Amino acid sequence: MTTIAFPKLISRPTSYTGLWSWIATVDHKRIGTLYGITAFLYFLIAGVEALIIRGQLREAESDLISPEIFNQLFTMHGTTMIFLVVMPMSAAFFNWMIPLMIGARDVAFPRLNAFSYWAFLFGSIFLNLSFFLGGAPNAGWFGYANLTGSVYSPGDGLTFWALGLLILGVASLAASFNFVVTILNMRAPGMSLMRMPVFVWMSLVTSILMALAMPVIAVALIQLSLDRVLDTNFFNPAAGGDPVLWQHLFWLFGHPEVYILILPAMGIVSEVLPVYSRKPLFGYAAVVFAGAVIGFMGWFVWSHHMFTVGLGPAANAAFTISTMLIAVPTGVKIFNWMGTIWGGKLRLDTAMLFSLGFIAMFIIGGLSGITHASPPTDAQQQDTYYIVAHFHYVLFGGSILGLFAGGYYWWPKMTGKRLGETLGKWHFWVMLVGFNVTFGPMHWLGLNGMPRRISTYAEGMGWETSNAIATFGAMLIAVSVLIFIINIIRTIASKQEAEDDPWDGRTLEWSIPSPPPAYNFARIPQVKSLDDFWYQKHPELLHDERGEEPESDEPVVEETHGGGSIHLPGMSYYPIVVALGMVIGIVGFMEIRVDIPGTDLVFPWLSAVGIAIGMYGVMGWSLEPVSEEGGGH
Amino acid sequence: MNLRRLLRPARSRLLFLILVVPAILVACNEGDPQSTFGTSGPIADAQADLFIFIFWIAVVVFVLVEGALIYSIIRFRRRGSDDSLPVQVHGNTKLEVIWTIVPVFILVAIAIPTIQVIYEQREPPTDQGPVLEIKVRAHQWWWEIEYPGEDVVTANEIRIPVGQWVNFTLNSDDVIHSFWVPKLAGKVDIIPGDVRQLAMRADEVGVFFGQCAEFCGEAHAKMRFRVRAEEPEQFQDWLDSMRRPPVELVSADAIAGQTLFAQNCSSCHSTNTWQGPNARNERTRLAGLRLAFLDNFKDTVVIPAPNLTHFATRDTLGAGLIELNETNLTRWITDPDDVKEGNRMKDLATPYRNNSLTSDDVRQLTAYLLELKPVAADAVIEPDSGGGGGGSATERGAATFAANCSGCHSTGDNRVVGPGLAGLSSRGDDAYIRESIVEPNAVVVDGFPASVMPPGFGATLSADELNDLIAYLKSL
Amino acid sequence: MAQVAVKQEQHVHVADTNTGISNRKLLLWVFLASDCLFFGSFIATYLVYRNQSTTGPYPNEILDIPITSVSTFVLLMSSLAMVLAVNYAQRNSVGLARFWILAVAALGTVFLLFQIYEFTTFVNEGLTIRSNLFGTTFFILTGFHGLHVFIGVLWLLGMAFAHFKGALTSRSVEDLEMAGLYWHFVDIVWIIIFTVIYLIGFSDGEGLSTIEHAAAVVGG
Repeated sequence: MTTIAFPKLISRPTSYTGLWSWIATVDHKRIGTLYGITAFLYFLIAGVEALIIRGQLREAESDLISPEIFNQLFTMHGTTMIFLVVMPMSAAFFNWMIPLMIGARDVAFPRLNAFSYWAFLFGSIFLNLSFFLGGAPNAGWFGYANLTGSVYSPGDGLTFWALGLLILGVASLAASFNFVVTILNMRAPGMSLMRMPVFVWMSLVTSILMALAMPVIAVALIQLSLDRVLDTNFFNPAAGGDPVLWQHLFWLFGHPEVYILILPAMGIVSEVLPVYSRKPLFGYAAVVFAGAVIGFMGWFVWSHHMFTVGLGPAANAAFTISTMLIAVPTGVKIFNWMGTIWGGKLRLDTAMLFSLGFIAMFIIGGLSGITHASPPTDAQQQDTYYIVAHFHYVLFGGSILGLFAGGYYWWPKMTGKRLGETLGKWHFWVMLVGFNVTFGPMHWLGLNGMPRRISTYAEGMGWETSNAIATFGAMLIAVSVLIFIINIIRTIASKQEAEDDPWDGRTLEWSIPSPPPAYNFARIPQVKSLDDFWYQKHPELLHDERGEEPESDEPVVEETHGGGSIHLPGMSYYPIVVALGMVIGIVGFMEIRVDIPGTDLVFPWLSAVGIAIGMYGVMGWSLEPVSEEGGGH
Repeated sequence: MNLRRLLRPARSRLLFLILVVPAILVACNEGDPQSTFGTSGPIADAQADLFIFIFWIAVVVFVLVEGALIYSIIRFRRRGSDDSLPVQVHGNTKLEVIWTIVPVFILVAIAIPTIQVIYEQREPPTDQGPVLEIKVRAHQWWWEIEYPGEDVVTANEIRIPVGQWVNFTLNSDDVIHSFWVPKLAGKVDIIPGDVRQLAMRADEVGVFFGQCAEFCGEAHAKMRFRVRAEEPEQFQDWLDSMRRPPVELVSADAIAGQTLFAQNCSSCHSTNTWQGPNARNERTRLAGLRLAFLDNFKDTVVIPAPNLTHFATRDTLGAGLIELNETNLTRWITDPDDVKEGNRMKDLATPYRNNSLTSDDVRQLTAYLLELKPVAADAVIEPDSGGGGGGSATERGAATFAANCSGCHSTGDNRVVGPGLAGLSSRGDDAYIRESIVEPNAVVVDGFPASVMPPGFGATLSADELNDLIAYLKSL
Repeated sequence: MAQVAVKQEQHVHVADTNTGISNRKLLLWVFLASDCLFFGSFIATYLVYRNQSTTGPYPNEILDIPITSVSTFVLLMSSLAMVLAVNYAQRNSVGLARFWILAVAALGTVFLLFQIYEFTTFVNEGLTIRSNLFGTTFFILTGFHGLHVFIGVLWLLGMAFAHFKGALTSRSVEDLEMAGLYWHFVDIVWIIIFTVIYLIGFSDGEGLSTIEHAAAVVGG
């Protein structure tokens, strides 16, 4: 190995406790926890934003907040929920569960994993700093050009938005590369692709979608940033630029993004339902295949977000057909889940309730989706509250409920304690009712002609009652989240200790202690079937179902490399250094002006600093001795 | 745990969705002026019918699937502490094939009428009489309306004849907007630099509410408009009235207000498109203002603004925002931001920037605007009323200037779009001034883009008007 | 954490992954797949905006096909050199491998110099990223590719001066194979870009004339 003289400003972290051990951690479980905590904090922030929005809309002609603030809030609510809540919360579960479910000791690239988290954290903080530095982004999470250009959005908000999302995009790309390699390369012996848990499958599809979709939005964001900062012409109609190009790029990313948001939750539900039904997943292959097909077909439906743009009847008809087709695999999943609970012995614990709530709500969201898969009806529904209702049924009723199901399901594995069931059930029912009271009336509001993204509305439009109900429902949701927080606090304070396998689980993560040790598996498991752990516990089923004889307790093959001891990747400070350098570099490139009174600071030198830090980090990273590279630990 | 108790809310939710939602759908009424139901034209009718068709299919699917879900939750819930394993079913290929195929048939049933309607609504039918063409140009945050060939220009309130197909040609002056009158037709987005068409027909007399449906910036919520469908004769009367001169101002306030308006407002707002040449030139005038704005958007003082010709005949103010009456207009002029936050008038118009607007000014401007209406159809109209027939050449020239030039040029030193024209005679002779008017690009003052001044004045102004105008300009 | 001996140590061993491809190489493949979408989006933007510029300079006035053909040839030859470098590395001839790595880096640098020359010439002739849509899309697309070449040159130089000083290890051979994959990818992308911009698009001129465009914007 090489020995280049490299200034060692940073000595290698050694302690496994304390703040620095978290900053330097490369343990997928700790990184998962960091993702989870951060995402939950942003969930609270986005929730507060939503409550203020609902407060403003509670009655006609309300002036609780100004239109400008309203526009900032709905932009940041959408951006936060998508990029800072659902995606990182899914990443939290990916981080925690993928290695445990495939029988690995860590992800393929632990330091890259840490880098992803820090880049995500810094990017998200940068994005939210805009609130205090001249105004948050205010052009919607979709940021349609040319409103986002410097002529019609002269402030810095949208530069924060474009650059912040770029940084988050880099973080997502790094994470997705890592998970694809981990899942394809690091499975325990015997775990063929078709023996992987559905959650791992959905993580794989999601990661592939991320790896391929994030570049498209990144390019659009680069073009937008260049338009804003260097006066290029990408989306400038006066120079012949076409704002519709932004929409194509955005939705070419945006529709796969929808599946990036929902597939992890579908994976979670596919794990929870069999466990609490005490039955295998109905039609495992079909569920897996449906997920993969959704991920593939998700690339061919983007223009259904643009039915009213005027692309012409041929384009609209074609995208109608592709959009309707994608409903088929989605339906397959729902029917297979119902086949799973049919004939089972359902334990209606909180995780199961959230999963069943997911199915019930997702059906509504799917059906309302069919109504605007038809361009003529979409012409009336596009950009109205009907759409707001639809995608909240899919993304809140779907993704968020699914993620809560995962939270309740895996909490004992992650922390060693079970979340309280009584408060959990209160949480579920208050949230489910509040959710429906909030978003149910929005269907009617949209059909009654209320456009989205309006900061106020006139009296006499017939919108007051439904809006008042929706605002009341939003408060119910807030109460349910408070119940959840109380539940967490009480659980942490309690003295209980969860069993290793509290739910009679089916997958490998339940075969190890709760919480798992740093090395996860003392012995790398040998996988002989789908739901291997379940069949270890119920060997008689192998015979009943498949005519196989339960195998005698043959000695498990020891992990071979390293002669018995377990190698864990060493902690490292370099991921956070590289992330910091990258963020500073990107931010500095684009002349972000920080409005300090009396000055007009421009930081062209900042990029140089960032690049220097980043280069230092990359060199340190590549020269630091590691043991994770080269595969298979 | 008591499962029955837990499950009850689920059941009542289902009940709500099955019973209450359709009930609401049926119960739409006049209290819902922007509803997508209770439609009044073939386009919106077909869209609503298609929705209802899909909706009932969705309701059937919803009841069956949610019903099956709730049934299986209740039926297969664990009773007591029964720890035995249920039958371990891994799948059922026949069943899975069925529930893959059946949705395909349902979706085909939806796709067929959908695609039919898409193609039916592509353009207005050619066999149902003449089609009225209307040009709509969206601005942040108002609508410019033009009846091409009719020499009628207005803003924010569209009048159409009932029973006749209307084809809207939609264009944007700045960002993306969306044109939506729910009771008449679904929306079409308006893309800057591109043109969209939307045909519709109103089958009932009435006022239909419209609103911009694509987020377009700060005052997006207040970018509304009205479409008034009238009997064809009434509509024709209105078109005619829009081409008649305004009534003579009577109140002293209004007369004072006219001067104030000319000094402070006329750079952006025009009130003179009742004259054919001005109506035809209005688009060019606004385009000039837009170019001037784009040229210097960071500290511009001009921007395209709604046409106010015969303003007093309108129902609403501020882009369909509030009823037009003295109270509201006073409120609007006093502080436009109070009514419509984000609008550009507060930022750009001199009296607001200088904080020099007095309550007298407001009263006078209000009085003036509320008297802006056309003379009665039987009133005697001077054939030459446009130029202001009598008076000296300078006076006639002043009238021509007010009608044609004041939008962009001040008579002082300040630059509006074009340069201020005070002391023009010192800059060149008659021939220079004439050339500057007729061929504006021949000599362009440094710092002003070549394309701003419209090149058409040589054709629209008569020789006499041109002479009078030059006389007037030299007097400055 | 303490129950099991946790060791941090340097360890080199053959890939024993499920796919048989080492983690690092698989990572590179996934990255390249992702990078395809980056280039794809930029190329799509260029194609959408062909013949849409409202003012000059237009491609048919400014593109210099002969010069760019030469630089394209240089880049193609660098791929050949890369094949040789990998070949010698796999055969364990350090010196030759190192020579060909430096050749690749040198040819890449020549390509970059051509690009710098081209950019400077264009700017002198009035084409900047601001002047029109062609300028915007041309500079950003070719610049984005140039950035890839630049990173590749840095990577190769780092490898030539670090890894290949001493004996070859299986890991450093794999490093070179990965750099080779990357380099060939960047090369192939250039062939597509060269085809799109220079071969197909060399005669692209003004799209809508200024007057027509003004009419579209102004007149409606």
